[in-house]
Amino acid sequence: MTDEPGEKSTLADKSNLPRRRFLKAGIVGISGVLGIAYLGIIGRYLAPPAIGSDPLLPVGKADDFALDSPKLVAYKYGGIEQGVYVINTSDEGWIALDFHCTHLQCAVNWISAIKKFACPCHGGVYDMKGHVLGGPPPRPLYRRVIRIQGNSVMVGGRIG
Amino acid sequence: MGRWLDERLQFSELLRSVFEHPIPKPSNLLDYLGFATLFAFASQTITGILLATAYIPSAAEAYNSIKVLQTAPLGVYVRSLHSWGANFMVVLIFLHLLRVFYEGAYKKPRELTWLMGVILFLATLGLAFTGYLLPWNQEGYWATTVGSAMPGYIPVIGEYILRIMRNGLEVTGATLTRFYAVHMLVLPLIILLAFTPHFFFVLRQGMSVADKLEAAKRRGEDIEAKSIPFYPNVAFRMILLVVVVAVVLWVLAGVYPKSLGSPADPLNRNHYVPTPAWYFFGVYQLLKYFPGRLDVIAMVGLPLLFLIVLFGLPWLDRNPSHSPRKRPVALSIATVLVLGLIFLTYQGIRSVPKPLPTSGVIADPSYKADIDPIFQSRCVGCHGQSGGYSLDTYANVMRKNVIPGHPNASLLVKRIEGKVAPQMPLGLQPLSKDQIQTIKNWIKAGAKNN
Repeated sequence: MTDEPGEKSTLADKSNLPRRRFLKAGIVGISGVLGIAYLGIIGRYLAPPAIGSDPLLPVGKADDFALDSPKLVAYKYGGIEQGVYVINTSDEGWIALDFHCTHLQCAVNWISAIKKFACPCHGGVYDMKGHVLGGPPPRPLYRRVIRIQGNSVMVGGRIG
Repeated sequence: MGRWLDERLQFSELLRSVFEHPIPKPSNLLDYLGFATLFAFASQTITGILLATAYIPSAAEAYNSIKVLQTAPLGVYVRSLHSWGANFMVVLIFLHLLRVFYEGAYKKPRELTWLMGVILFLATLGLAFTGYLLPWNQEGYWATTVGSAMPGYIPVIGEYILRIMRNGLEVTGATLTRFYAVHMLVLPLIILLAFTPHFFFVLRQGMSVADKLEAAKRRGEDIEAKSIPFYPNVAFRMILLVVVVAVVLWVLAGVYPKSLGSPADPLNRNHYVPTPAWYFFGVYQLLKYFPGRLDVIAMVGLPLLFLIVLFGLPWLDRNPSHSPRKRPVALSIATVLVLGLIFLTYQGIRSVPKPLPTSGVIADPSYKADIDPIFQSRCVGCHGQSGGYSLDTYANVMRKNVIPGHPNASLLVKRIEGKVAPQMPLGLQPLSKDQIQTIKNWIKAGAKNN
């Protein structure tokens, strides 16, 4: 950074000149601002959609759901068929459970013989309303928004 | 041509200093593993670019685009090369890491080379993980669902990280395009950015095995008889190793082509049970030993500890000696870890449901050869460390539910036959009639540990 290599003492002195300090601070500062600006854009751009922002979509006819009998329906969104168990419960009304086990998100199966959900991966077991009965799951099955409009069952995004 | 360039750029001096340094005799093949990894990466780059010309990164098209590619024999071969190449690269870079550790080559003055190497290692695992989803088949879809669920266990920010990775709560088409961009652009860029200094440092500092020679040279000793020049002698041996690695890769890719499997079914109509790629089986198996709320230790704590140790190794290990004999503690710890990883990987692979003979009753079955494989592949997923009754070892099987000599009175048989509800395996395809009969025959003969 000097025209006279070898003159270390001069270099050290010069590096403390206010003008040089200003220029150095300018280089670091401007690069920093540019970097932060792009990081901001990247962060905003890659931010995932908010939880629960998925639209309400029809998944079936209300008549097709027997009381207290979970039925797997396809919620077609995001280019895939998302698995949701819709249950018309006798005491709580309609509920929709996301079919991913809360342990590591394998798909749970409804075992009608014992009226429980079971996960084949690590043995998580849930009751009909998604409460944990056994195995490693840390929390109940997630619920999704559900609305009955006329005879149409509409399911939406995850709650919580 | 060489002279023309040299006149303008004065390269030859630099190249001589870089390439003509002496290497001790005999030169060890294991010191070339980094170079072999570089070859694997080059192969991945070439086959990856070829695949990219045919692949369509969308949930609706991805599987079909690979299927179309697979109609041509060369398409099958290139995809197989890429898939096998990924395995090769993971194995080679891991062996390279172990060799560098054994040689103590991460110590001063090569700390930064090690640091860049760790980034390369993690980026390689990242490439393997993101690449697994791209064919959009059942195997890749569910492995990614489970694999990307793990960061969700990180306290406070876990769920946000999961959603950023997937671009939403679930693995959808948006996840596929995100993984595609990371696999094709972000990780290769990181590899390039980390590899350039990694390679430059190696050229600048020479291979660590040559340090003793350099010291002897400085002392004024004649090292001519004890050494061979890096270029061309050692470089030629490196190329020979690459040829061996390449031939093995090409043959394996040809003899065992990578199958595509069935298309991803996020509804999982066929009750597919997810399994990871084999190199993630260690973690997969570890989870089974950490039931319930301790999962966070296996999914967050241990990986974090692993990262800290990996990145901090040159500073954590304060023993200045490079010789393996003078580093008993470091080498013992590493040996235990590697053996543990091998054991976990082996156990994990063993526990995966694999195609067992579903027809044919075995009249005189052996526990080890005939019964244990059925339990391991169909039962231990749940009845391993949790589930109240464990079928993972003979002792655990015999703890209850089996009455030797009386198959029909044994609860185990009643459960798999469905005579006592619920029928096992819970929510899955029942065992075949022949498998059940084989188990009954084994119990009738006394349920021996044979």
